[in-house]
Amino acid sequence: MVPVSAYLIVAIVLFGIGTVGVLISRNMIVMFMCIELMLNAANLALIAFSRSLEVMDGHAFVFLVLTVAAAEAAVGLAIVLAIYRNRETINIDRFSILKW
Amino acid sequence: MEFAFPEYNLRLMAPEIFLFLWALLIIAYDVLTKRKSETTAGYLALAGLMITGLILGFTGTGHGFGNMFVSDTAAKFFKIIFLGSAFMAIGSSFGIMREKIVNHRGEFYGLILFSTVGMMFLSSSNELLSLYIGLELTTIPLFVLAAFFKDDKLSVEAGIKYFIVGAFSSALLLYGISFLYGLSGTTDLVQMKINIAITHLTFQNIGVILILAIVLVVAGIGFKLSLPPFHQWVPDVYQGSPTPVAAFLSVGSKAAGLIAFAKIFVNGLFAFHHPDMAPNDWGRLVALLAVAAMILGNTVAIRQTNIKRMLGYSSIAQVGYIMIGIVAMNALGMAAMGFYIFAYMFANMGAFAAVAIVEDKTGSCEISTYSGLARTSPLLSATFAVFLLSLAGIPPLAGFMAKFYIFAAGIQAAQHDPGLYWMYWLVGIALLTTVFAIYYYANIIKQMYFAKEPSPHKVTYNFPALTVLLIGLAGLFVFGIYPEPVLHFASGIASSFGIIP
Amino acid sequence: MESQILTLVTFFPLLGIVLMLAIPKNQHDSIKSICLIVSFITMLLSFWMYAMFDPIANGMQFEVDIPWITSLGIHYHMGIDGISLLLIVLTSVLSVLAILSSWISITKAVKGYYISMLLLEVGMIGVFCSLDLFMFYVFWEVMLVPMYFIIGLWGGPRRLYAAIKFVLFTMFGSLLMLVAILYLVFAYQSYSGEYSFDMLKMMELPIAYGPQLYLFGAFALAFAIKVPLFPFHTWLPDAHVQAPTAGSVILAGVLLKMGTYGFVRICLPIFPEATVAYLPYICVLSLIAIIYGALVAMVQKDVKSLVAFSSVSHMGFIMLGIFALNLQGIEGAVLQMINHGVSTGALFLIVGMIYERRHTRLIEEFGGLAKVMPVFATFFMITTLSSIGLPLTNGFVGEFLILLGAFKANTVYGIIAASGVILSACYMLWMYQRVIFGKVTKPENEKLKDVNWREKLILIPLVLIIFWIGVYPKPLLDRIEPAVKQVLTYVSKATTVNIGEGIQIDQARTTDEVEIILGEVDPVKVGSEGMEE
Repeated sequence: MVPVSAYLIVAIVLFGIGTVGVLISRNMIVMFMCIELMLNAANLALIAFSRSLEVMDGHAFVFLVLTVAAAEAAVGLAIVLAIYRNRETINIDRFSILKW
Repeated sequence: MEFAFPEYNLRLMAPEIFLFLWALLIIAYDVLTKRKSETTAGYLALAGLMITGLILGFTGTGHGFGNMFVSDTAAKFFKIIFLGSAFMAIGSSFGIMREKIVNHRGEFYGLILFSTVGMMFLSSSNELLSLYIGLELTTIPLFVLAAFFKDDKLSVEAGIKYFIVGAFSSALLLYGISFLYGLSGTTDLVQMKINIAITHLTFQNIGVILILAIVLVVAGIGFKLSLPPFHQWVPDVYQGSPTPVAAFLSVGSKAAGLIAFAKIFVNGLFAFHHPDMAPNDWGRLVALLAVAAMILGNTVAIRQTNIKRMLGYSSIAQVGYIMIGIVAMNALGMAAMGFYIFAYMFANMGAFAAVAIVEDKTGSCEISTYSGLARTSPLLSATFAVFLLSLAGIPPLAGFMAKFYIFAAGIQAAQHDPGLYWMYWLVGIALLTTVFAIYYYANIIKQMYFAKEPSPHKVTYNFPALTVLLIGLAGLFVFGIYPEPVLHFASGIASSFGIIP
Repeated sequence: MESQILTLVTFFPLLGIVLMLAIPKNQHDSIKSICLIVSFITMLLSFWMYAMFDPIANGMQFEVDIPWITSLGIHYHMGIDGISLLLIVLTSVLSVLAILSSWISITKAVKGYYISMLLLEVGMIGVFCSLDLFMFYVFWEVMLVPMYFIIGLWGGPRRLYAAIKFVLFTMFGSLLMLVAILYLVFAYQSYSGEYSFDMLKMMELPIAYGPQLYLFGAFALAFAIKVPLFPFHTWLPDAHVQAPTAGSVILAGVLLKMGTYGFVRICLPIFPEATVAYLPYICVLSLIAIIYGALVAMVQKDVKSLVAFSSVSHMGFIMLGIFALNLQGIEGAVLQMINHGVSTGALFLIVGMIYERRHTRLIEEFGGLAKVMPVFATFFMITTLSSIGLPLTNGFVGEFLILLGAFKANTVYGIIAASGVILSACYMLWMYQRVIFGKVTKPENEKLKDVNWREKLILIPLVLIIFWIGVYPKPLLDRIEPAVKQVLTYVSKATTVNIGEGIQIDQARTTDEVEIILGEVDPVKVGSEGMEE
């Protein structure tokens, strides 16, 4: 049986890739995907804990997180679309009318 | 064996359900009447908030949904703050409805109300799942609201920044929550308080994961609370987004972050506050962030030329003061936290309402616009000055009482527990930065009153905005001179968190 | 009615503010009249209070004690003894005169100005009435806002700088005081089990020596900035010179007294051991203030900054009197607070009058005014002499008592302080000579009008007070004495504890004995012992 730590390590790796991606990427869409990666890392960890502790709360949690992520994606992509119409770019470095 | 349904206690949720339906109604109304009326949707929203407040008054206390939803003093107190800040934000938004938001009035109000519903759920949540959902329900409408002027470059930019930061921070929070869940095996916060302490005592090596969890949760909520180093988005988003939205962000969303923070840390991680628990002690970590917030917020605010950015930095500093109440972790501290955010609501919403009124007239948020305004618009200048003085903490305004309680809580904690002696330093730094704060608040007053030339602008008030100004003014004076009823109410927050005075 | 007299005196000016808010802002005359009438009635109320005050009784009078914020034990607690009584009367009198003096000189934003003046009066009287530390702090801070506006809006060319400097200095000190107050409250809570902000209860609270030093330091810093004691005085010349005449009068006449009042009311009785420990340092700082203020005043070219620096010097005297820690010293100091308020207030008014005529205050611009404005010169002469402390004027009585106390406490201090008196005679008379005597050198000075009836109305009461206190100070001293003895009882309680050589002072004993015993104990020696512990 695969120990729970294996799942956690995968989760940490996923989370790390996601975090680094958000911090260094300049493309809105890529940043957005990296955030989804982070959420999924958390989901994986939740499921792994839920399974190893034999408590079902984690499963319920994951379903709700998936829903929330979908809502977030809908809003996020709409805003990206709006700014693309406005500026014709999705490079975060260009969005500097406001001092970042 | 008979299967027992959990007790739903739907009546406890009546205010949230009502407000949610009302928000849908407003959107539907606006669409169905072909968006003809300029103000009706706004007045409907205000009425809805007032009715929700009434319903909240009749809602009892208790638990529902298998202990996931709780209606206690802390929840009620914060719900009042959410409703109040939504009320004042909507009240100050009638000016922008005239020119800038012609086609989406219903959606604007609907989204503010949705966000308010999210905040109310959040303050009633008793476990991590509903807390997370509540937080998301709060934030997602705010992303849209920040970018609401979709043809305005600044607003869209503010929206995208807020979205990236908000989504990133919620991912951090979620990951932290997954660790807390893994350590305690439960999502119930009260149960978690016990379970984590037991796990800690049984396995001495949970340190690393717990530290990671604490850091991630602090970071996740720190973004919402704008605690440094997670504060960079604040001035940009405040400057770019519509002024009423910035106001709502600065009070409502902050109060939501505060209650979420208090729920996770004061409730769930109750045991890990004291230096004895080092390195798992979150108290000193948060204290450090609070110090950073007070110093950074107050010093950088001095250099700002845009009033919304200045208020943004000032709000960063204010959060630093509030955190002293949480770090103190005594009954007084919890009450002080509640009272502070209550007083802050009047002062900051009022200040933003004043900014909105000036912006409607002049189209500018530069501090230089305010030069000589006292001669042409004495009422606005006087009330704005009162709001700023309250933020600076000058008696007899409510802002002073709030700071007073926060400092009192800090000193009490330091005096009663030798392990918390560093609270003296915390309070000391808070005092010192208060002096800085007076400088930049006084600077605005100086612009308005001491300028040689009278301002070329004379502001005009619309009725709701004027009401907001007067509510803020009255609140600051009444609760500054006689804070006892609110304090009495706020002292119930402590017992909601299981802290016995 | 009688029991509520303090509430009435304190908050009566608020009525004027309410009335003024109802009047359109361009009706200057009615605004001014309402302000004057209200402040005049406040003055009459304070006179009535003075008449009702029982000079023999010990302790606080007209006490009101109503729970206010019960969750922290904050009470609406007011009460006065002889010290606060006189300061309240002084405040109400100076407020009327200050309002009268700004009758024509204030032309812009008239409504705001008079509202600020009345708000300031509420704050000042409130500070002197409060027996609850929270209320004391609130009133102390409330005054900042109107004073900020008075300096910043109606002041001289560098008014913005002066206003913000005044606010930041005061704020810095008072916030430390706030921490000390909170510490006291929680210390009291662990001692007695209940929250309280009551000053009188704090006086009974035993505080360990170490914390006492910190707490005294925090309070003393707040008060020393307000006094201002020597290294903290830098805001004063700016604020004084830039403020409008009425602002300077109130600032010098009342605001500075709040610092010394704080020492007498809070620092001495609540922290007796720390008082003794800090005593040598504060005495030395006061002496430096006396000499330094006088020397700097001597070289000033501007009459107003000369008077401002003379205030530093005179306030040094008052501090020295307080920290002589004997009956004469403190009595003299309290009396000198009144005297300084009257004579410096009068000097600022006179400077203001001449400034209104010439729009300059430089000494070299004047000369020979005695021939042009004889009545003015007479008034100026009287106030100058009173400021120097010539016998038969009020200044003499106060300074004499202070010097007596100082000599009794420490001869060296007495000698240095006495030399300060001589210096003050030098700079005041030299200034007077250059401004008033000699030939009229400047043509602008030839056609100056002498004082008009309004200005006489302002100056005559002050001159009367100057002579009254100078000739017959007994009624005032009678009222001060029980209060001062009360303070000394608290101080002596601690000194005996600290010395521990069998000098037990029973509170029931007559206070004359207290004085004798205290006179024998060399406070400086006590202080050095205190520090060694």
